[in-house]
Amino acid sequence: MPSITSFNLAHVHLLLNHVPTIGSVVALGLMIVAFIRRDEGLKLVGLEVLFAIALLTLPAYMTGVAAFTKLRGEPGISETAIRLHQDVALYGFTWMEFAGFIAWVALWNARRHGRASRGLVVTSTALLIVSFAVMARAANLGGDIRHPELGGTALTIDSAEFLASKISNVMVNSPWAWPASETVHFLGLSLSFGVLLAINLRILGVMKRVPFAELHRLLPWGMLGFGLNLITGMLFFVGQPKQYIDSAPFYWKIVFLMIAGANFLYLTVFRKAWADTRGAWTASGTDKAMAFVSMFAWLATLYCGRMLPFIGHSF
Amino acid sequence: MGLLNWLESLALSVWVHESPSIWAQPTVLTLHTMGMGVLVGASWVLDLRLLGIGRNIPLSAFRWVFRTVAFSLVVNLVTGVLLFMARATLWGTAFPFLIKILLVVASAATLLPIRNYVLQSDPEQRDVSGRARMLAMISIATWTAAITAGRLLAYTVAG
Repeated sequence: MPSITSFNLAHVHLLLNHVPTIGSVVALGLMIVAFIRRDEGLKLVGLEVLFAIALLTLPAYMTGVAAFTKLRGEPGISETAIRLHQDVALYGFTWMEFAGFIAWVALWNARRHGRASRGLVVTSTALLIVSFAVMARAANLGGDIRHPELGGTALTIDSAEFLASKISNVMVNSPWAWPASETVHFLGLSLSFGVLLAINLRILGVMKRVPFAELHRLLPWGMLGFGLNLITGMLFFVGQPKQYIDSAPFYWKIVFLMIAGANFLYLTVFRKAWADTRGAWTASGTDKAMAFVSMFAWLATLYCGRMLPFIGHSF
Repeated sequence: MGLLNWLESLALSVWVHESPSIWAQPTVLTLHTMGMGVLVGASWVLDLRLLGIGRNIPLSAFRWVFRTVAFSLVVNLVTGVLLFMARATLWGTAFPFLIKILLVVASAATLLPIRNYVLQSDPEQRDVSGRARMLAMISIATWTAAITAGRLLAYTVAG
Protein backbone atom coordinates (compact mmCIF):
# COMPACT_ATOMS: atom_id res chain seq x y z
CA MET A 1 0.00 0.00 0.00
CA PRO A 2 1.73 3.22 -1.14
CA SER A 3 1.64 5.83 1.55
CA ILE A 4 -0.96 8.50 0.96
CA THR A 5 0.45 10.46 3.86
CA SER A 6 3.46 11.42 1.76
CA PHE A 7 1.17 14.07 0.25
CA ASN A 8 1.17 17.30 2.11
CA LEU A 9 -2.22 17.07 3.79
CA ALA A 10 -2.13 20.74 4.69
CA HIS A 11 -2.26 21.44 0.94
CA VAL A 12 -5.11 18.99 0.47
CA HIS A 13 -6.93 20.89 3.21
CA LEU A 14 -6.35 24.21 1.46
CA LEU A 15 -8.01 22.65 -1.60
CA LEU A 16 -10.90 20.89 0.12
CA ASN A 17 -11.73 23.63 2.60
CA HIS A 18 -13.39 25.61 -0.17
CA VAL A 19 -15.93 22.88 -0.85
CA PRO A 20 -18.22 23.49 2.14
CA THR A 21 -18.39 27.25 1.57
CA ILE A 22 -18.27 27.65 -2.21
CA GLY A 23 -20.21 24.42 -2.69
CA SER A 24 -22.93 25.71 -0.37
CA VAL A 25 -23.26 28.89 -2.41
CA VAL A 26 -23.62 26.83 -5.59
CA ALA A 27 -26.21 24.50 -4.02
CA LEU A 28 -28.08 27.44 -2.54
CA GLY A 29 -28.06 29.24 -5.89
CA LEU A 30 -29.48 26.16 -7.60
CA MET A 31 -32.23 25.90 -4.96
CA ILE A 32 -33.19 29.56 -5.26
CA VAL A 33 -33.36 29.39 -9.07
CA ALA A 34 -35.33 26.14 -8.80
CA PHE A 35 -37.84 27.77 -6.45
CA ILE A 36 -38.22 30.84 -8.66
CA ARG A 37 -38.64 28.82 -11.83
CA ARG A 38 -40.66 26.14 -10.04
CA ASP A 39 -38.31 23.69 -11.69
CA GLU A 40 -38.69 20.30 -9.97
CA GLY A 41 -35.75 18.79 -11.85
CA LEU A 42 -33.42 21.58 -10.76
CA LYS A 43 -34.47 21.07 -7.12
CA LEU A 44 -33.28 17.48 -7.40
CA VAL A 45 -29.96 18.67 -8.86
CA GLY A 46 -29.60 21.07 -5.92
CA LEU A 47 -30.24 18.23 -3.47
CA GLU A 48 -27.72 16.01 -5.24
CA VAL A 49 -25.07 18.75 -5.10
CA LEU A 50 -25.86 19.27 -1.43
CA PHE A 51 -25.38 15.56 -0.67
CA ALA A 52 -22.05 15.54 -2.54
CA ILE A 53 -20.85 18.58 -0.55
CA ALA A 54 -21.85 16.90 2.71
CA LEU A 55 -19.69 13.92 1.70
CA LEU A 56 -16.66 16.05 0.79
CA THR A 57 -16.94 18.02 4.04
CA LEU A 58 -15.69 14.88 5.82
CA PRO A 59 -12.20 14.87 4.23
CA ALA A 60 -12.16 18.68 4.45
CA TYR A 61 -12.46 18.42 8.22
CA MET A 62 -10.06 15.51 8.56
CA THR A 63 -7.27 17.02 6.47
CA GLY A 64 -7.70 20.17 8.55
CA VAL A 65 -6.84 18.24 11.70
CA ALA A 66 -3.80 16.82 9.90
CA ALA A 67 -2.76 20.33 8.85
CA PHE A 68 -3.10 21.43 12.49
CA THR A 69 -0.45 18.99 13.68
CA LYS A 70 1.86 20.12 10.85
CA LEU A 71 1.52 23.80 11.70
CA ARG A 72 1.53 23.41 15.48
CA GLY A 73 4.47 25.01 17.18
CA GLU A 74 5.57 26.98 14.11
CA PRO A 75 6.49 30.61 14.80
CA GLY A 76 3.67 33.08 14.17
CA ILE A 77 0.99 30.42 14.49
CA SER A 78 -1.54 30.74 17.27
CA GLU A 79 -2.69 27.39 18.53
CA THR A 80 -5.81 28.96 20.00
CA ALA A 81 -6.67 30.42 16.59
CA ILE A 82 -6.40 26.95 15.05
CA ARG A 83 -8.45 25.32 17.79
CA LEU A 84 -11.16 27.96 17.47
CA HIS A 85 -11.25 27.47 13.69
CA GLN A 86 -11.39 23.70 14.16
CA ASP A 87 -14.19 23.90 16.67
CA VAL A 88 -16.38 26.12 14.52
CA ALA A 89 -15.63 23.80 11.58
CA LEU A 90 -16.80 20.85 13.70
CA TYR A 91 -20.11 22.60 14.33
CA GLY A 92 -20.31 23.44 10.63
CA PHE A 93 -19.55 19.85 9.73
CA THR A 94 -22.36 18.62 11.97
CA TRP A 95 -24.89 21.03 10.41
CA MET A 96 -23.66 20.12 6.94
CA GLU A 97 -24.06 16.38 7.51
CA PHE A 98 -27.53 17.00 8.86
CA ALA A 99 -28.39 19.05 5.75
CA GLY A 100 -26.91 16.34 3.51
CA PHE A 101 -28.91 13.66 5.28
CA ILE A 102 -32.21 15.53 4.84
CA ALA A 103 -31.26 16.18 1.19
CA TRP A 104 -30.81 12.44 0.73
CA VAL A 105 -34.17 11.71 2.38
CA ALA A 106 -35.76 14.30 0.04
CA LEU A 107 -34.13 12.62 -2.98
CA TRP A 108 -35.27 9.20 -1.79
CA ASN A 109 -38.77 10.47 -1.20
CA ALA A 110 -38.84 12.17 -4.61
CA ARG A 111 -38.01 8.86 -6.27
CA ARG A 112 -41.13 7.41 -4.66
CA HIS A 113 -43.55 10.20 -5.33
CA GLY A 114 -42.18 11.59 -8.58
CA ARG A 115 -41.35 14.99 -7.07
CA ALA A 116 -39.49 16.33 -4.09
CA SER A 117 -41.55 17.01 -0.98
CA ARG A 118 -41.77 20.73 -0.36
CA GLY A 119 -41.21 20.39 3.38
CA LEU A 120 -38.04 18.33 2.96
CA VAL A 121 -36.59 20.66 0.32
CA VAL A 122 -37.27 23.71 2.49
CA THR A 123 -35.79 21.97 5.56
CA SER A 124 -32.62 20.92 3.77
CA THR A 125 -32.24 24.40 2.26
CA ALA A 126 -32.67 25.98 5.69
CA LEU A 127 -30.07 23.62 7.17
CA LEU A 128 -27.79 24.43 4.24
CA ILE A 129 -28.04 28.15 5.04
CA VAL A 130 -27.17 27.49 8.70
CA SER A 131 -24.21 25.29 7.79
CA PHE A 132 -23.03 27.86 5.26
CA ALA A 133 -23.14 30.57 7.92
CA VAL A 134 -21.17 28.44 10.39
CA MET A 135 -18.70 27.33 7.70
CA ALA A 136 -18.18 30.91 6.56
CA ARG A 137 -17.24 31.82 10.13
CA ALA A 138 -14.93 28.80 10.26
CA ALA A 139 -13.32 29.92 6.99
CA ASN A 140 -12.87 33.42 8.35
CA LEU A 141 -11.24 32.07 11.52
CA GLY A 142 -9.10 29.79 9.38
CA GLY A 143 -7.80 32.83 7.51
CA ASP A 144 -6.73 34.34 10.82
CA ILE A 145 -4.33 31.45 11.39
CA ARG A 146 -1.92 32.57 8.67
CA HIS A 147 -3.07 36.13 8.12
CA PRO A 148 -3.38 37.84 11.50
CA GLU A 149 -2.78 41.14 9.68
CA LEU A 150 -6.30 40.81 8.22
CA GLY A 151 -7.81 41.53 11.60
CA GLY A 152 -7.59 38.42 13.69
CA THR A 153 -7.56 39.03 17.39
CA ALA A 154 -5.18 37.57 19.89
CA LEU A 155 -7.15 35.00 21.79
CA THR A 156 -6.73 33.23 25.05
CA ILE A 157 -9.19 30.40 25.51
CA ASP A 158 -8.67 27.44 27.78
CA SER A 159 -8.25 24.50 25.42
CA ALA A 160 -10.56 22.36 27.59
CA GLU A 161 -13.40 24.70 26.59
CA PHE A 162 -13.48 23.52 22.99
CA LEU A 163 -16.11 21.07 21.78
CA ALA A 164 -13.45 18.84 20.22
CA SER A 165 -11.64 18.66 23.56
CA LYS A 166 -14.84 17.83 25.41
CA ILE A 167 -15.68 15.01 22.98
CA SER A 168 -12.12 13.73 23.17
CA ASN A 169 -12.24 13.82 26.95
CA VAL A 170 -15.37 11.64 27.07
CA MET A 171 -14.12 9.24 24.39
CA VAL A 172 -10.77 8.70 26.09
CA ASN A 173 -11.75 8.76 29.76
CA SER A 174 -15.17 7.14 29.82
CA PRO A 175 -14.88 3.37 30.24
CA TRP A 176 -17.85 2.70 27.97
CA ALA A 177 -17.89 5.47 25.32
CA TRP A 178 -15.27 3.91 23.02
CA PRO A 179 -16.47 0.26 23.30
CA ALA A 180 -20.12 1.34 22.87
CA SER A 181 -19.27 3.42 19.78
CA GLU A 182 -17.31 0.52 18.32
CA THR A 183 -20.25 -1.81 18.86
CA VAL A 184 -22.61 0.61 17.11
CA HIS A 185 -20.01 1.01 14.32
CA PHE A 186 -20.06 -2.77 13.75
CA LEU A 187 -23.87 -2.95 13.84
CA GLY A 188 -24.08 -0.03 11.40
CA LEU A 189 -21.62 -1.59 8.98
CA SER A 190 -23.61 -4.84 8.96
CA LEU A 191 -26.85 -2.98 8.27
CA SER A 192 -25.52 -0.93 5.38
CA PHE A 193 -23.66 -3.96 4.01
CA GLY A 194 -26.82 -6.07 3.97
CA VAL A 195 -28.99 -3.47 2.26
CA LEU A 196 -26.38 -2.65 -0.38
CA LEU A 197 -25.75 -6.34 -0.97
CA ALA A 198 -29.44 -6.87 -1.72
CA ILE A 199 -29.64 -3.87 -4.06
CA ASN A 200 -26.36 -4.56 -5.85
CA LEU A 201 -27.24 -8.24 -6.31
CA ARG A 202 -30.50 -7.14 -7.96
CA ILE A 203 -28.50 -4.91 -10.33
CA LEU A 204 -26.21 -7.85 -11.09
CA GLY A 205 -29.17 -10.05 -11.99
CA VAL A 206 -30.20 -11.91 -8.81
CA MET A 207 -33.92 -11.50 -7.93
CA LYS A 208 -34.61 -10.53 -11.55
CA ARG A 209 -38.39 -10.67 -11.16
CA VAL A 210 -38.42 -8.14 -8.36
CA PRO A 211 -39.22 -4.62 -9.55
CA PHE A 212 -36.36 -2.36 -8.64
CA ALA A 213 -38.76 0.18 -7.19
CA GLU A 214 -39.75 -2.30 -4.46
CA LEU A 215 -36.18 -2.53 -3.19
CA HIS A 216 -36.32 1.22 -2.77
CA ARG A 217 -37.95 0.79 0.65
CA LEU A 218 -34.79 -0.89 1.92
CA LEU A 219 -32.47 2.02 1.06
CA PRO A 220 -33.19 4.19 4.14
CA TRP A 221 -32.11 1.28 6.35
CA GLY A 222 -28.80 1.22 4.53
CA MET A 223 -28.59 4.98 5.02
CA LEU A 224 -29.34 4.49 8.72
CA GLY A 225 -26.33 2.16 8.98
CA PHE A 226 -24.19 4.66 7.04
CA GLY A 227 -25.34 7.49 9.35
CA LEU A 228 -24.61 5.51 12.52
CA ASN A 229 -21.12 4.82 11.23
CA LEU A 230 -20.52 8.42 10.24
CA ILE A 231 -21.44 9.55 13.76
CA THR A 232 -19.47 6.88 15.61
CA GLY A 233 -16.56 7.20 13.16
CA MET A 234 -16.38 10.94 13.82
CA LEU A 235 -16.44 10.25 17.58
CA PHE A 236 -13.34 8.05 17.14
CA PHE A 237 -11.64 10.64 14.94
CA VAL A 238 -12.38 13.64 17.16
CA GLY A 239 -11.69 11.48 20.23
CA GLN A 240 -8.20 10.40 19.22
CA PRO A 241 -7.18 12.23 16.01
CA LYS A 242 -3.51 11.34 16.48
CA GLN A 243 -4.32 7.69 15.87
CA TYR A 244 -5.53 8.49 12.38
CA ILE A 245 -4.03 11.61 10.88
CA ASP A 246 -0.74 10.06 9.81
CA SER A 247 -2.06 6.57 9.21
CA ALA A 248 -2.00 5.51 5.55
CA PRO A 249 -4.86 2.96 5.76
CA PHE A 250 -7.02 5.63 7.36
CA TYR A 251 -6.74 7.93 4.32
CA TRP A 252 -7.37 5.00 1.99
CA LYS A 253 -10.42 4.23 4.08
CA ILE A 254 -11.73 7.77 3.55
CA VAL A 255 -11.03 7.53 -0.20
CA PHE A 256 -13.02 4.29 -0.46
CA LEU A 257 -15.72 5.75 1.75
CA MET A 258 -16.12 8.67 -0.66
CA ILE A 259 -16.46 6.23 -3.58
CA ALA A 260 -19.00 4.17 -1.65
CA GLY A 261 -20.90 7.32 -0.66
CA ALA A 262 -20.97 8.57 -4.24
CA ASN A 263 -22.39 5.21 -5.18
CA PHE A 264 -25.14 5.68 -2.63
CA LEU A 265 -26.03 8.89 -4.45
CA TYR A 266 -25.94 7.05 -7.79
CA LEU A 267 -28.38 4.45 -6.44
CA THR A 268 -30.67 7.20 -5.25
CA VAL A 269 -30.77 9.09 -8.55
CA PHE A 270 -30.86 5.97 -10.76
CA ARG A 271 -33.76 7.07 -12.99
CA LYS A 272 -34.81 4.23 -15.23
CA ALA A 273 -34.40 1.52 -12.63
CA TRP A 274 -36.56 3.16 -9.97
CA ALA A 275 -39.28 3.82 -12.52
CA ASP A 276 -39.58 0.08 -13.09
CA THR A 277 -42.61 -1.25 -11.22
CA ARG A 278 -43.04 -4.50 -13.14
CA GLY A 279 -39.63 -6.14 -12.91
CA ALA A 280 -38.88 -5.44 -16.57
CA TRP A 281 -35.69 -3.45 -16.01
CA THR A 282 -32.30 -4.98 -16.72
CA ALA A 283 -29.10 -3.28 -15.75
CA SER A 284 -26.79 -1.70 -18.33
CA GLY A 285 -23.07 -2.37 -18.33
CA THR A 286 -22.48 0.91 -16.47
CA ASP A 287 -24.98 -0.01 -13.78
CA LYS A 288 -23.34 -3.39 -13.29
CA ALA A 289 -19.91 -1.78 -13.13
CA MET A 290 -21.27 0.61 -10.47
CA ALA A 291 -22.61 -2.34 -8.48
CA PHE A 292 -19.18 -3.98 -8.54
CA VAL A 293 -17.48 -0.72 -7.58
CA SER A 294 -19.92 -0.30 -4.70
CA MET A 295 -19.31 -3.77 -3.26
CA PHE A 296 -15.57 -3.43 -3.74
CA ALA A 297 -15.49 0.03 -2.13
CA TRP A 298 -17.40 -1.22 0.94
CA LEU A 299 -15.17 -4.22 1.39
CA ALA A 300 -12.11 -2.01 0.92
CA THR A 301 -13.44 0.50 3.48
CA LEU A 302 -13.90 -2.31 5.98
CA TYR A 303 -10.48 -3.77 5.12
CA CYS A 304 -8.68 -0.46 5.69
CA GLY A 305 -10.63 0.13 8.91
CA ARG A 306 -9.94 -3.29 10.38
CA MET A 307 -6.29 -3.07 9.29
CA LEU A 308 -5.75 0.29 11.06
CA PRO A 309 -3.86 -1.29 13.97
CA PHE A 310 -1.76 -3.51 11.69
CA ILE A 311 -0.81 -1.50 8.58
CA GLY A 312 -1.16 1.78 10.42
CA HIS A 313 -0.27 2.17 14.05
CA SER A 314 -3.63 2.86 15.67
CA PHE A 315 -4.44 1.29 19.04
CA MET B 1 -6.76 -27.24 30.02
CA GLY B 2 -4.53 -29.90 28.44
CA LEU B 3 -6.53 -29.77 25.22
CA LEU B 4 -6.44 -25.96 25.13
CA ASN B 5 -2.68 -25.94 25.71
CA TRP B 6 -2.21 -28.47 22.94
CA LEU B 7 -4.38 -26.44 20.52
CA GLU B 8 -2.46 -23.29 21.28
CA SER B 9 0.90 -25.01 20.77
CA LEU B 10 0.10 -26.18 17.23
CA ALA B 11 2.28 -24.64 14.55
CA LEU B 12 -0.77 -23.08 12.86
CA SER B 13 -1.95 -21.47 16.12
CA VAL B 14 1.49 -20.09 16.86
CA TRP B 15 1.72 -18.71 13.32
CA VAL B 16 -1.67 -16.92 13.56
CA HIS B 17 -0.80 -15.51 16.96
CA GLU B 18 2.84 -14.57 16.57
CA SER B 19 3.70 -14.15 12.91
CA PRO B 20 4.37 -10.53 11.93
CA SER B 21 2.94 -11.38 8.48
CA ILE B 22 -0.07 -9.40 7.32
CA TRP B 23 -1.62 -12.73 6.32
CA ALA B 24 -1.64 -14.05 9.89
CA GLN B 25 -3.80 -12.48 12.60
CA PRO B 26 -4.61 -9.24 10.68
CA THR B 27 -6.06 -11.00 7.64
CA VAL B 28 -7.86 -13.69 9.64
CA LEU B 29 -9.44 -11.02 11.84
CA THR B 30 -10.40 -8.86 8.84
CA LEU B 31 -12.00 -11.82 7.05
CA HIS B 32 -13.91 -12.59 10.25
CA THR B 33 -15.23 -9.00 10.29
CA MET B 34 -16.16 -9.07 6.59
CA GLY B 35 -17.92 -12.40 7.11
CA MET B 36 -19.81 -10.86 10.01
CA GLY B 37 -20.94 -7.89 7.92
CA VAL B 38 -22.22 -10.09 5.08
CA LEU B 39 -23.74 -12.72 7.40
CA VAL B 40 -25.59 -10.32 9.68
CA GLY B 41 -26.38 -7.86 6.88
CA ALA B 42 -27.99 -10.51 4.67
CA SER B 43 -29.93 -11.94 7.64
CA TRP B 44 -31.16 -8.49 8.59
CA VAL B 45 -32.34 -7.66 5.07
CA LEU B 46 -34.57 -10.75 5.14
CA ASP B 47 -35.69 -9.95 8.69
CA LEU B 48 -36.64 -6.43 7.58
CA ARG B 49 -38.66 -7.88 4.69
CA LEU B 50 -40.45 -10.29 7.04
CA LEU B 51 -41.29 -7.31 9.25
CA GLY B 52 -42.88 -5.50 6.32
CA ILE B 53 -40.15 -3.38 4.69
CA GLY B 54 -40.67 -3.78 0.93
CA ARG B 55 -43.87 -5.74 1.46
CA ASN B 56 -44.51 -6.10 -2.28
CA ILE B 57 -41.42 -8.24 -2.81
CA PRO B 58 -42.37 -11.96 -2.91
CA LEU B 59 -40.66 -13.91 -0.13
CA SER B 60 -39.31 -16.41 -2.65
CA ALA B 61 -37.08 -13.64 -4.12
CA PHE B 62 -34.93 -13.89 -1.00
CA ARG B 63 -33.54 -17.35 -1.69
CA TRP B 64 -30.10 -15.82 -2.33
CA VAL B 65 -29.92 -14.87 1.35
CA PHE B 66 -29.43 -18.50 2.42
CA ARG B 67 -26.57 -19.19 0.05
CA THR B 68 -24.91 -15.93 1.13
CA VAL B 69 -25.44 -16.70 4.79
CA ALA B 70 -24.14 -20.27 4.42
CA PHE B 71 -21.01 -19.03 2.65
CA SER B 72 -20.24 -16.36 5.24
CA LEU B 73 -21.00 -18.78 8.10
CA VAL B 74 -18.32 -21.10 6.69
CA VAL B 75 -15.87 -18.19 6.36
CA ASN B 76 -16.52 -17.15 9.95
CA LEU B 77 -16.40 -20.69 11.29
CA VAL B 78 -12.95 -21.23 9.71
CA THR B 79 -11.56 -17.83 10.72
CA GLY B 80 -13.23 -18.08 14.14
CA VAL B 81 -11.63 -21.46 14.82
CA LEU B 82 -8.23 -20.06 13.77
CA LEU B 83 -8.62 -17.06 16.09
CA PHE B 84 -9.70 -19.38 18.90
CA MET B 85 -6.74 -21.73 18.37
CA ALA B 86 -4.30 -18.82 18.41
CA ARG B 87 -5.28 -18.00 22.00
CA ALA B 88 -7.09 -21.15 23.06
CA THR B 89 -6.21 -20.93 26.76
CA LEU B 90 -7.54 -17.35 26.86
CA TRP B 91 -10.82 -17.85 24.96
CA GLY B 92 -11.44 -21.38 26.22
CA THR B 93 -11.60 -20.23 29.82
CA ALA B 94 -13.40 -16.90 29.37
CA PHE B 95 -17.07 -16.71 30.33
CA PRO B 96 -17.84 -13.69 28.06
CA PHE B 97 -16.54 -15.71 25.11
CA LEU B 98 -18.98 -18.51 25.95
CA ILE B 99 -21.81 -15.95 25.96
CA LYS B 100 -20.77 -14.71 22.53
CA ILE B 101 -20.67 -18.23 21.08
CA LEU B 102 -24.09 -19.05 22.55
CA LEU B 103 -25.52 -15.85 21.04
CA VAL B 104 -24.04 -16.67 17.62
CA VAL B 105 -25.47 -20.19 17.80
CA ALA B 106 -28.87 -18.81 18.85
CA SER B 107 -28.82 -16.27 15.98
CA ALA B 108 -27.81 -18.88 13.42
CA ALA B 109 -30.52 -21.19 14.81
CA THR B 110 -33.23 -18.63 14.02
CA LEU B 111 -32.15 -18.87 10.38
CA LEU B 112 -33.30 -22.51 10.11
CA PRO B 113 -37.04 -21.99 10.69
CA ILE B 114 -36.87 -18.73 8.69
CA ARG B 115 -35.24 -20.65 5.84
CA ASN B 116 -37.91 -23.35 5.92
CA TYR B 117 -40.63 -20.71 5.95
CA VAL B 118 -39.22 -18.76 2.99
CA LEU B 119 -38.29 -21.81 0.88
CA GLN B 120 -41.74 -23.35 1.41
CA SER B 121 -43.58 -20.12 0.66
CA ASP B 122 -45.66 -19.77 -2.49
CA PRO B 123 -43.67 -18.25 -5.41
CA GLU B 124 -45.91 -15.17 -5.28
CA GLN B 125 -46.52 -15.13 -1.53
CA ARG B 126 -46.21 -11.73 0.11
CA ASP B 127 -48.05 -12.25 3.39
CA VAL B 128 -45.95 -13.10 6.41
CA SER B 129 -47.24 -15.19 9.32
CA GLY B 130 -47.13 -13.87 12.86
CA ARG B 131 -44.68 -16.61 13.78
CA ALA B 132 -42.26 -15.62 11.00
CA ARG B 133 -42.43 -11.99 12.11
CA MET B 134 -41.64 -13.08 15.64
CA LEU B 135 -38.66 -15.09 14.36
CA ALA B 136 -37.43 -12.05 12.44
CA MET B 137 -37.56 -9.91 15.57
CA ILE B 138 -35.68 -12.55 17.56
CA SER B 139 -33.09 -12.80 14.78
CA ILE B 140 -32.48 -9.03 14.75
CA ALA B 141 -32.16 -9.00 18.54
CA THR B 142 -29.85 -12.01 18.85
CA TRP B 143 -27.51 -10.82 16.06
CA THR B 144 -27.34 -7.41 17.74
CA ALA B 145 -26.48 -9.10 21.03
CA ALA B 146 -23.93 -11.39 19.36
CA ILE B 147 -22.10 -8.48 17.69
CA THR B 148 -22.17 -6.53 20.94
CA ALA B 149 -20.79 -9.48 22.91
CA GLY B 150 -18.13 -10.12 20.26
CA ARG B 151 -16.95 -6.52 20.14
CA LEU B 152 -16.81 -6.25 23.90
CA LEU B 153 -14.54 -9.31 24.07
CA ALA B 154 -11.71 -6.98 23.07
CA TYR B 155 -12.32 -5.13 26.34
CA THR B 156 -13.56 -7.80 28.75
CA VAL B 157 -11.20 -10.65 27.85
CA ALA B 158 -8.40 -9.64 25.49
CA GLY B 159 -8.08 -6.04 26.71
